Amino acid sequence: MRRLSGRFRSSLIIGLQGIRARKLRTLLSMISLFLGVLAVVVVQAGASIAERALLADLEITQGYDGTRVMDMPMEQASTDMLAATVHGRSDAVAMMGVSGIVGEPGVLPVNPGAAPLDQDWGPAMVCNDVGCEPAPGVKGQAVEVRLTALSGDVRKFRPFRTVTGQWLDFSKVPAMSPKLVLNRAAADAFNQYRVPAEMRVGGAAANVTPQFVGVVDDGDMQPRAYVRLDELTTWLPTSRMADPMTGGEMRLLMSPGSPVEPVVVSKLKALGNEPYVYTVESRKDQEKQLTLMRLVFFSMAGLVLLIGVAGILNVGLATVGERVEEFALRRAVGTPRSLLAGIVLAETLLTGLLTAAAAIGAAAAGLKVVTMLVGNSQPILSDVQFPWEAGIAGIIAGLVAGVLGGFIPALRAAGIPIATVMRA
Amino acid sequence: MTTLIALDGITKVLKGQEQPRTILDGVGLTVDAGQSVAIVGRSGSGKSTLLSVIGLFDRPDQGSYQLDGQEIARLPERRAAKLRSSHFGFVFQRFFLLKHLTAAQNVAMALVNGQGWLPRRQRRTRVLEALDQVGIAHLAKSRPTKMSGGEQQRVAIARALVRDPKVLLADEPTGALDTETGTLVIDALLAATERGCGLILVTHDRDHAARMGRIHDLVDGVLTERVAVR
Repeated sequence: MRRLSGRFRSSLIIGLQGIRARKLRTLLSMISLFLGVLAVVVVQAGASIAERALLADLEITQGYDGTRVMDMPMEQASTDMLAATVHGRSDAVAMMGVSGIVGEPGVLPVNPGAAPLDQDWGPAMVCNDVGCEPAPGVKGQAVEVRLTALSGDVRKFRPFRTVTGQWLDFSKVPAMSPKLVLNRAAADAFNQYRVPAEMRVGGAAANVTPQFVGVVDDGDMQPRAYVRLDELTTWLPTSRMADPMTGGEMRLLMSPGSPVEPVVVSKLKALGNEPYVYTVESRKDQEKQLTLMRLVFFSMAGLVLLIGVAGILNVGLATVGERVEEFALRRAVGTPRSLLAGIVLAETLLTGLLTAAAAIGAAAAGLKVVTMLVGNSQPILSDVQFPWEAGIAGIIAGLVAGVLGGFIPALRAAGIPIATVMRA
Repeated sequence: MTTLIALDGITKVLKGQEQPRTILDGVGLTVDAGQSVAIVGRSGSGKSTLLSVIGLFDRPDQGSYQLDGQEIARLPERRAAKLRSSHFGFVFQRFFLLKHLTAAQNVAMALVNGQGWLPRRQRRTRVLEALDQVGIAHLAKSRPTKMSGGEQQRVAIARALVRDPKVLLADEPTGALDTETGTLVIDALLAATERGCGLILVTHDRDHAARMGRIHDLVDGVLTERVAVR
């Protein structure tokens, strides 16, 4: 071990001396390698940023990896059971959705069915036990939204990004006038149709005047508003939430291992229902797509890196050719072949590391500049940090290039006949 | 006197040509501690090949080579490198100093060779001692390009001495120097023999050879002792 340590230190010292003695050559090697390492760093950084952006969107719409999701049957008994079971719990949040129309009283919404404003999902319909028919009336200054009632803070499972205002406060007593948090699509709609008026929900005891307290990004294209379940149920019986005619939806999000799950499952089974429960595995689902994306980009970066390796190999061979006498002399004074190879490899590895440092620095600076210039218009680039994986990839690329580019020169240096100095 | 080197029947044949050529033909030689030996002969007579065999640069095809009583004629390269480091110091006609290193760094090259590790302070002490032995400690920080030929050769001798070798092998060390400077270099080499180091000098110069304890002639690969001068 001590002998290895001595050889390692010797090769480092001599390697550094060699680099200092041949600064221009080192610079040329670095230039040829720089683009290759930079390509690897940029590809890895791009892939990491894209992966994070992709996963961030998936986390908003589907939930964090590991979140247990239970889709519930639309029944009044189930609704009542669920509301009672999750009440006051932080490890499970129920989401119950109904349709609501907010705006000018007595008119049809501009987006029947809570359609995105730029889409036409057909006329507003009224449905009953017999069937559905077009709703009477004319369109006015009103927007239909999906109204999602929450039993607790859902951001523990789905990290909605606050755009403006604030999120629902579950620590206070429920207000008589429900506070709503809109998603971006709903906020855009209310920007176009600014009618401070009532909120109509089918089956509610009265049309109430809602308060908009904030806007979040929930990744949904459909206008949606979030409301506390206890504030909504002040006006709307839970039986109406389970009414399929209102397009109701009911979902339970839970932490892994939450005791709520077996309780709810048992209760549902007792009610004669078989729940559907699954675990969010966004990363796993996207792995194939991400792997393919990485493979394509890394193949391209690898090609560029190979060109860099060819450069360092070329310079390395030329340098060994010039240092034949030096290596023969070193052998004459007792330097083993392995150390001679180590000296050459140390030089190329140090060159690779220096290049990697330069490429990582350039990539990080470039990302900073890009973020400053276009960060506001490109959400994927706002507040983005240089991914550490890209730094690691750059260092590995530099080291690999150093080994590949230095391997053949190292072999050649180790094979220089010692008698060269005698014949000189 | 301790016998350092004992060659017996060393034969070296140059192959790879139409007809193999015998370079060394049954060479026998002994060198004791503190002894100096001159090997003289015409160009192409095999002097450098003999030195290569003695310095473990090359292996003999036949014969026995004992160093400190141990047979080393068939030594693997790894052990040969170790022995080169621990037993031999080499001085060549061309000085082979690295231009980008100072005199001290050139001398230290023999210490930073992967055969054991010396801390920086000890390295520095030994390098300065070696430079002092050849009278150029004041040039420690100078680069070879700023030195005269004699000074450069003395740096090369310091490099050979820095590991306290048992045998110094000098291959025409004065060949590139004027007579006066050459004499100074031979002085430095002989000074080492006074400390118990054996010296084998390959030279064309009769005057320098005459200063050695023994002179051997190498003619067509056959080594013969000429006369015992001292």
